[in-house]
Amino acid sequence: MSAGTRPHRSRATGTPAAVGPASTPSAGPAPAPPAREKRPFLLDFFPLQTSDQTRLSKFFDRLKEGAVSTTRCPKDQVLLWPPRTACPICHGETLEWVDLPGRGHLYAFSAVLGGAPLGMESEVPFAVGLVDLEGAPLRLFGRVEGRPWSELYIGQPVRLESYDIGDGRWFYRFRTET
Amino acid sequence: MNVRDVALVGGTTTKFGIRSSTWAELAQEVGAALFREIPELRAEDVDSFFLGAAEPERFAFQSHVAPFAAEQMGLRPHRIIQRTELACASGQSAIRSAYAAIASGLSDIAVAVGVEKMNLPSMAEANTSMACVMDRAWDGPHGATAPPFFAMVAQRHQLEYGTTEDQMAAVSEKNHRFANSNPEAQFYEKKFSRDKLLRLPVVAPPLRLGDCSSMTDGAAAVVLVAAEFVRSYTDRPAWIRGTGQYSNFHNLANAGSLTDWAGLRHAAREAFARAGIGADQVDFAEVHDCFTISEIIEYEMFGWAAPGQGGRFAADGQADVGGKVVVNPRGGLLGCGHPLGATGIAQAVEVHRQFAGTVPLARAVPDPEWALVHNLSGSANVHSVMIYQRGGAA
Repeated sequence: MSAGTRPHRSRATGTPAAVGPASTPSAGPAPAPPAREKRPFLLDFFPLQTSDQTRLSKFFDRLKEGAVSTTRCPKDQVLLWPPRTACPICHGETLEWVDLPGRGHLYAFSAVLGGAPLGMESEVPFAVGLVDLEGAPLRLFGRVEGRPWSELYIGQPVRLESYDIGDGRWFYRFRTET
Repeated sequence: MNVRDVALVGGTTTKFGIRSSTWAELAQEVGAALFREIPELRAEDVDSFFLGAAEPERFAFQSHVAPFAAEQMGLRPHRIIQRTELACASGQSAIRSAYAAIASGLSDIAVAVGVEKMNLPSMAEANTSMACVMDRAWDGPHGATAPPFFAMVAQRHQLEYGTTEDQMAAVSEKNHRFANSNPEAQFYEKKFSRDKLLRLPVVAPPLRLGDCSSMTDGAAAVVLVAAEFVRSYTDRPAWIRGTGQYSNFHNLANAGSLTDWAGLRHAAREAFARAGIGADQVDFAEVHDCFTISEIIEYEMFGWAAPGQGGRFAADGQADVGGKVVVNPRGGLLGCGHPLGATGIAQAVEVHRQFAGTVPLARAVPDPEWALVHNLSGSANVHSVMIYQRGGAA
């Protein structure tokens, strides 16, 4: 369709009689203003955290208290990440919560210098890494704060910290040891 | 139950790149191209339809995409119609599903198609979609996308084996050079020397722009048929002889070693065992070079290079024409671009074209009999392998 044939204003088409009576917009009192439209709830990357949305709300409760925890299967004694509601080995659904060690060392790291997802563009450049926790058989992925990426090294000591993301939810990240 | 032999009898792809076309238009374009490419193909004979599409809900805001795509292509499948989603391996999943359907006797003639539209006015939104391939709630909030993950893989490979940026650039130079003979490739007319590649900006250290495949729009389609129908379409079929697949983990914490891709070794072993061949018999391979380091590790996992020697294998030209095995003659994901769902289908199209001898001399593999196609998906947590044998008049 060329620009010349595209109507810029709406225009009646067809024969209204054939499809029913046309409405009479000018008749009657002015309509009441529409109720304020509820905006869509955007699922961002951060998980839903409250007990009405997740059975893992205890993780986030502990996070607010400063501890990163996870679930362990009391039968297999296997530490699971991320925290779960059923053991992937024995499929038991009675798991126990344990706090994770707060320290670890960088196993690998990189940085996002561009191409960040929505909501993270203003944080570029930022570093991420895989961290071997001290005293627990887990290698966690996370944001690494504290030093520019160019000053990080494999084996560098880091610690876990929790933080308020600003809308009532909390999350965790790593920070280089000073 | 007897398993029937299944052949790929032809296929085609659209131009890959930044396309001024919608998702639906790409599907129509590949449908029109497919019927031109295979004049014997009649829409009413296509009983089943498998669509590889990774993220149409996010990239095109469209669900129920298999019938949507079938309508764009003028098809009314009457036995099986479904979408296959396996992120970057969605296309190969479509072929694998068609293969299983035909082998089992549920389908006789199937179309497997891949469509992806990734270039949007907001690239941050596209990056967000890509990040959803990871464990969104636990890895996503940290900013986990493919580049930083594969950058860590490269960093570990450098640390453990001494792999160099120059060796990684050798992979990129080779695949971009092959893409220069492929008009459908995103980087068809772009020249990349190793020196130029090593001067490109760093995206996620140590990976530079030239180490990474692109966000690409494109579509590809193939026709698969049971043995008894092959002669109606071609005298140069590509027979599917083996498949293997392995899903090892999903959350990044459960990756284990970043440089030993056990899932790929498992998938390859299964595929080779089914085909009854060894890695040394493969004449050429279309493998998943989403990043240069991926192709380097794949040489090692398939057994073409010794563990840790993938970088040297590339730099020595062992993956080039005249080397041990020709890897990614189509141009790879690095040279062709990576429209997620279309990639695995386009790799299979290249296998058929190489067997039929219809590719330009610059990327022609001499007298190939066996070809391998590999896709990884996500954080290399899933690996999918298929093995093809050339059939018909040689």
